Amino acid sequence: MNIAVTGATGYIGNRLLRAARQAGYPVLALSRRAVAQPGVAWRAYDLADAGPLVLPADITTIIHLAADTASAAVAPEVEAHAARRLIDAARAIGADVVFVSSQTARDDAPTQYGRTKWCIERMVLEAGGWIVRPGQVYGGPAQGLFGVLCQQVHRLPVLPAFLPAPAVQPVHVDDLVQALLRYRQAPPASLLCIADPIGIGFTDFLRAIARGRTARSPLAVPVPTALVNAAAGLLGPARASRLGLGRLRSLFALPAMDTVADLQCLSLTLRPLHAGMSRSGLARRERLREGRALLSYILRDTPPPSLVRRYARAVEALRPPDAVPLLPVWALRRPARLAWLDGISGSDAAWAAELSWRLDAALMLAEATPQGARRFLGLGRPAGPCRSTLRIAWAIGADLLRRISQVALRPWLSRAVRRKAGT
Amino acid sequence: MSTSLDADVIIVGSGPAGVSAAFPLLEAGWRVLMVDGGQEATLSLPAGSLFDLRRTDPDQWRWMVGHQFHALRQADAVSPKLRAPTHAAVFDGFAAANRIIADDFIAAGSLAPGGLSNAWGCGVACYTHDELAAFPAPAARHMAAAYQRIATRIGISGGQDDDLSDFFGVDDWADAPTPLDPLQARLYAGYQARRPGLHARGFRLGRARVAVLTAPRPHRQPCDLSGTCLWGCARGALYAAAHDLAQLRGHPGFQYRPGFLVERVQAQGDTAVIMGRSAQGAGTLRARRILLAAGTLATTRLALQAIGHRQPVSMQSCPTAAFMLWQPRFLGRSPEAAFGLGQLSFSLALPDATQGFGSLFNPSGIPVTEFARHLPLARRYGVDLLSSLLSSCTVGNVFLPGALTQASLQLDPDDCLIARGAYSDQVAPLMAHAHRQLRASFLRLGAILIPGSFTIGRPGSDIHYAATLPMRTHPGPAQTTDLGELPGAPRVHIIDGAALPILPAKSHTLTIMANADRIARDMAVL
Repeated sequence: MNIAVTGATGYIGNRLLRAARQAGYPVLALSRRAVAQPGVAWRAYDLADAGPLVLPADITTIIHLAADTASAAVAPEVEAHAARRLIDAARAIGADVVFVSSQTARDDAPTQYGRTKWCIERMVLEAGGWIVRPGQVYGGPAQGLFGVLCQQVHRLPVLPAFLPAPAVQPVHVDDLVQALLRYRQAPPASLLCIADPIGIGFTDFLRAIARGRTARSPLAVPVPTALVNAAAGLLGPARASRLGLGRLRSLFALPAMDTVADLQCLSLTLRPLHAGMSRSGLARRERLREGRALLSYILRDTPPPSLVRRYARAVEALRPPDAVPLLPVWALRRPARLAWLDGISGSDAAWAAELSWRLDAALMLAEATPQGARRFLGLGRPAGPCRSTLRIAWAIGADLLRRISQVALRPWLSRAVRRKAGT
Repeated sequence: MSTSLDADVIIVGSGPAGVSAAFPLLEAGWRVLMVDGGQEATLSLPAGSLFDLRRTDPDQWRWMVGHQFHALRQADAVSPKLRAPTHAAVFDGFAAANRIIADDFIAAGSLAPGGLSNAWGCGVACYTHDELAAFPAPAARHMAAAYQRIATRIGISGGQDDDLSDFFGVDDWADAPTPLDPLQARLYAGYQARRPGLHARGFRLGRARVAVLTAPRPHRQPCDLSGTCLWGCARGALYAAAHDLAQLRGHPGFQYRPGFLVERVQAQGDTAVIMGRSAQGAGTLRARRILLAAGTLATTRLALQAIGHRQPVSMQSCPTAAFMLWQPRFLGRSPEAAFGLGQLSFSLALPDATQGFGSLFNPSGIPVTEFARHLPLARRYGVDLLSSLLSSCTVGNVFLPGALTQASLQLDPDDCLIARGAYSDQVAPLMAHAHRQLRASFLRLGAILIPGSFTIGRPGSDIHYAATLPMRTHPGPAQTTDLGELPGAPRVHIIDGAALPILPAKSHTLTIMANADRIARDMAVL
């Protein structure tokens, strides 16, 4: 694929460029601000540009991200015209159009934003293009609506708990970007809803931001949605929009999306919510500390920082979050003591399964380094039958000792595990 | 009339069966259109000696674990191959795209050009005369010549006069084998000295016959024992249908449409059509004949849908087990890279006239983690143990005949294909017998079958699926003629594993290819 991206400097655009380059696709960035990245060509582009748009003939795909998300500075007709221009440009060179719409898109949406998106969707579908409706996008740098929410959560002493509670369906920005790059797995004129199939309460979503991004657990204060609606009515549409009440209200009216079939169609598995939230120094530091301990335990040596970071990234990408750090302090301080926890049974089963997964991850990642190869394959050290016999006997002896310790220390270990498992 | 046709024949799938049928049809002057899932690999194969790469490449995690942590995501998959990031494009998305639902069964297939042959074990064997007796007579008659054509085209090695020559039946066309590693060389030498006793036990050992080059061919280099077999061979020494596809694409009568996913097949008057979708949208393609070579599972779904068959059809799949051997005399040997696929093979005579078959592998080309995860030791001590032990070990697998898996495929009301299956009651005692027989036989050869290492795989984990639409002299419902033609859907031919009448315990790919070649050749003279 040879991709042109509008809105290439935005929240999603930035991540899309990165992923497209990593996948080896040539990219043409279309944006107001210049993009200077290796492997990315740039062309000035504004939603409000007039006149026909001519794109290089080798472009196979146009991903349309550019949108006016907040300021209402761009009139809806302008956005619709911009979409028409892109569709025409795509038709001229036989390229696909992928339009990133919104969960709020509806012909009777409460916001102009949602109605405009709906109009553009019709145009793109008619032209045989693809529509991607993301849920609540989060993760990565604090930009876009996610950035606004991060800011608010950071600023507010308490979190609003709206009643009745609206639900959001989160999707990590990097998962959304993967969906965009896989659009061809779906037939043309498809409408693809990309978000977690199961929604979570908006307050829980804010709480996840608080925990992951600011390492706080602020109190939630109930706010009746009727109150917000009333305030919006009193203030009038212009002032309500400036205060962000319009967006808030469209959240209350968010239709639930059925995403299971679309995710399956794109063979996409979304990462769990907290994976994207764990950029806060605290959660990340905790992971690095854990990785250093597990990898030292496996490697019998200090792991290189790049390997520790890779471990942290893997856990963040693939695992649910922990309420408390997984490992007790005594294991973090002396990784050799992890042997007492390795293969432990009879304690908390979920905790043991999680530790087992992470030990296996550390094992796999540790092996895939030059240092790991030497250790795992026994390269570059004196061999011979006597040495090997001793080493094997020693390994079996050490494991026997571990088993004895696990029995002897059972009450103490069980208590430590229970504390970590939160049961 | 023929101007309204997209081609004379459309072949669905570019795997071993599809490419094998394309050659004879092109020779006969037919216009051939081949479609496949078009899912290309994005990761290049590790090039060079595995141990050099492992020792020095700081980015080895990219092909060992994967940029998106593919190996971790696939942690529960049944085979290391399914975890190899270089094979992600081979296996990913197959079941969803082809609407296959596995119910407690391993159901794998491929959307990649070249299909599952991108990641196969390269084992090759002919069906014996007795095994071919299950084929309709005209089919059985033409198989010998077809075997020869395929074997010469793809390039196979391992041929030598040994106790498995008749079992494999490919020696006339096979190059010299790759050199044995010291461990297996020792086993083989021991076997030569103790043959009579082992024969009496029903154990026969010989070289594995594999589709691996030991002599150069155009665009492919011979095996240099670099040891990267698990991830795919950057030298092209391991046969993959993608090699043939590249050659076919140079032929003027050949058209190729990657990324066209077939959703439905239909016979219409004196033509046949496929309906599917691609990046350009939904499409219909029309030809005089359609050959289904999408892999047994996907082919069966399209075929059952075409004839409206909603009853379950039975499927064969070989029950499988794996084990590890330890040769104490090699303890303390320095590890070195070796050929990673089968070096020696064995056949086992089991009770009730059942024949088992298996191969032995050098473990140096498999990540140590694959073993350490399953040891009953704490990981740290497991790695300690394996780093000293593995260089004196050999891994083995064993297969039983496919009829011993009671598997079935059935179309549900939404036209999804449900795959179910379980081992028959005979499998447990037969495997126990095989275990004892292997332990005793290898002990005589100086190798200890490590206690606790003999592990029976889950149903379907062999990824050898066959015989869902078997060829019969007088085909019944959901059975096919000697040309693989479905009585309910004329002009639609089944040419992959689905059409095989039986699946003995041996590598069946060469037979699938030979059968596809034979059907295409017989069809061309119709």
